[in-house]
Amino acid sequence: MVSFSRRRLAQMLGASLLPIGGVIAVVRSTGYELPLVRRGRLVVLSASEFSVLDAVARRMCAAPAELVAPSVDDVDVVGFIDRFVATMNETIRTDLFRFLSVLEQLCPLLIGSVTRFSKLDPQSQDSVLAKLEAHDDGLLRGAFSGLKALIFMGYYRDPLTWPLLRYDGPTIARAAGGP
Amino acid sequence: MAVDAVVVGTGAGGSIALRELARAGLNVVALEEGDYLTSADFTQREDEMIPRLFQDQGGRTTDDLAIRILQGRGVGGSTVHNTNLCKRVPDEILDLWSTKYRVSGVTPAEMRPHFERIESDLSVSLIPTEARNRNNDILRLGVEALGWRGGQLKHNRVGCRGSGFCELGCVYNAKQNALKIVLPQAEEAGAKICALVRATKIVHDGCEVKGLVAEATDDEGRVTATLTFRTRVVVLAASAIGSAALAQKSFVPDPSHLLGKGLRIHPGAVVAGWFVDDVVGDKGIPQSYECTEHLSFEEGSDKRAWITTAFAHPIGTACVLPGFGAAHMRAMREYRKYAVLTAMLHDESSGEVYVGRDGRPKMRYEMNAADRKGLAKGLHACAEILFAAGAREVVIPGIPPVRLRSAKELSSVDYSFVRPAGLPLTAVHPMGTMRMGDDRRTSVVTSEGEHHHLRGLFVADGSLFPTSLGGPPQIGIYSFSHHIAPHAVARARRV
Ligand SMILES: Cc1cc2nc3c(=O)[nH]c(=O)nc-3n(C[C@H](O)[C@H](O)[C@H](O)COP(=O)(O)OP(=O)(O)OC[C@H]3O[C@@H](n4cnc5c(N)ncnc54)[C@H](O)[C@@H]3O)c2cc1C
Ligand code: SF4
Repeated sequence: MVSFSRRRLAQMLGASLLPIGGVIAVVRSTGYELPLVRRGRLVVLSASEFSVLDAVARRMCAAPAELVAPSVDDVDVVGFIDRFVATMNETIRTDLFRFLSVLEQLCPLLIGSVTRFSKLDPQSQDSVLAKLEAHDDGLLRGAFSGLKALIFMGYYRDPLTWPLLRYDGPTIARAAGGP
Repeated sequence: MAVDAVVVGTGAGGSIALRELARAGLNVVALEEGDYLTSADFTQREDEMIPRLFQDQGGRTTDDLAIRILQGRGVGGSTVHNTNLCKRVPDEILDLWSTKYRVSGVTPAEMRPHFERIESDLSVSLIPTEARNRNNDILRLGVEALGWRGGQLKHNRVGCRGSGFCELGCVYNAKQNALKIVLPQAEEAGAKICALVRATKIVHDGCEVKGLVAEATDDEGRVTATLTFRTRVVVLAASAIGSAALAQKSFVPDPSHLLGKGLRIHPGAVVAGWFVDDVVGDKGIPQSYECTEHLSFEEGSDKRAWITTAFAHPIGTACVLPGFGAAHMRAMREYRKYAVLTAMLHDESSGEVYVGRDGRPKMRYEMNAADRKGLAKGLHACAEILFAAGAREVVIPGIPPVRLRSAKELSSVDYSFVRPAGLPLTAVHPMGTMRMGDDRRTSVVTSEGEHHHLRGLFVADGSLFPTSLGGPPQIGIYSFSHHIAPHAVARARRV
């Protein structure tokens, strides 16, 4: 029974459901609070969008235990995404916000949970993300990789992360000063 | 404003058309929706340059989100950030176009003078072997060890410092491209270039062009003014995506129903090999060697992969490496030890450009079964090359990722992940949406580049090509524009 409903859900989560993400966002975007330092400082992200992105970024950029790496706060991944998304064309931005609400409200069902993504424990969040990355529906996989690109742009753009990779950065002085 | 001709787009195709129209003494203006950036504006930073140099801030994809389409936006178009490889359209392809697709005047002998002219304009030369970085040398080593066909490539750089940042614009101004060479020549001949001006509608009466409407914008895309040009000649060079979309938005006659159809993109995917010694693929000329063992220009052949190197900077690499979290970061730590190859598909699948509800171009494209097989063979070949060159591990970033420890394991790879969004696919060569030919039932424009049904509307970009090329298209696009330009000049003089 459970496996049947999960399969059905997997189908439902695909192309047909992404477009209604916007409706879900309107209906269920209450109950989110921004950290104090962010209040009044975000350009386009709402409190709920911020929370989802923050949760995803923490899992995507989680460092292995043996490594000391800059955190998503050190390099302000979500602040960067907020500024970046503000310059995106309207259609792409709307699609992104819809996907965030599908991820927050519906994707936890992929692991049988009714808890919002941002409130799940880290391990469960990883499971949801892994399911999305390998999902049967191409549109969901594509949306996942778009989100991943945005988050890794926010992380690896920062010179603080470059020593991890032994990447030297720009060869010209005017760019070497950082963002 | 009344002008003799308007050119839409200032990339490979638009720059040459503009220059030739201006050199013929015509009063010509080019409109470019992107900004006018020069080497002084480039910062070698992915987060800053990708949004500024690429369409949709680098986020352009097919409508199923399966293929990322990288395309230029700005004066100089995609030539500003391309990797400067220069290959002529292969003779086999020109012969195919001349015979099967009934394009006149484009046999290898007829196109040779155009190729020669362009190669001379852009100082095309063989990339010196001493400028080959280790990533490219690994490709060479692997190809030679396997006894496969391969060779050193040509480029249009002069004074290159090997910084490796070509895809973000050259701060050293070493690229001999539309921005540095051709557009200044056009301006010198009297052409005007209007940056941050987007063409929105071709004005016509169903038989001939009457003018063009455009919007001037600020650098954030907000419309600041509407401009109307009175002209009898419009040359579309907004790329195979932008040109077809503008023609569709303008309700250009399309009795053959081919406008926007036939989109080819050379979709490509990467394979990474881990080496014990540092590869440092981000330094030096990014691409200088190719493998053509698995590439045939015969229609229907199963050899459809053009293989070269494809090293990226950190953000690009992070997006392509599979997974996320701790495992992903561990892989990123090995950044300097990876050699990366790409198999680019000489595609026969045919996609489509259409206009979205927001008025922006959209792309529908799905690889057919034969192309998926061809790409899988290309990925397989990349892995073989990497092992032959000494890779200790090879990763194909499919979903799920394939990790191999030896060439022997290759025989058991299941390539079913080569499907929409089943692996990161990127395309940088859109072509074919307003194809040329003598037969108005099977082509959109004539062999001279003029629309079959709308006098004065010319196409001078990658849209013209009836098939994909199986290799880098810029020389072909510059040269075909050079071939088309005299006909646009003649039309402008006649009206
Ligand atoms: C990352 C990358 C690497 C590449 N490397 C190579 C390489 O090594 N060798 C090679 O041969 N090719 C390469 N290419 C491809 C090559 O650069 C392009 O095929 C070629 O530049 C296309 O020429 P075009 O004239 O058709 O379009 P473009 O050069 O893309 O120019 C089109 C221009 O039209 C503008 N435009 C679009 N719509 C409008 C509108 N409505 N109004 C006004 N302006 C508009 C765009 O902003 C753009 O500037 C690469 C491409 C990319 C993205
Ligand atoms: S490798 Fe050469 S052409 Fe490319 S950005 Fe560096 S200096 Fe310019």
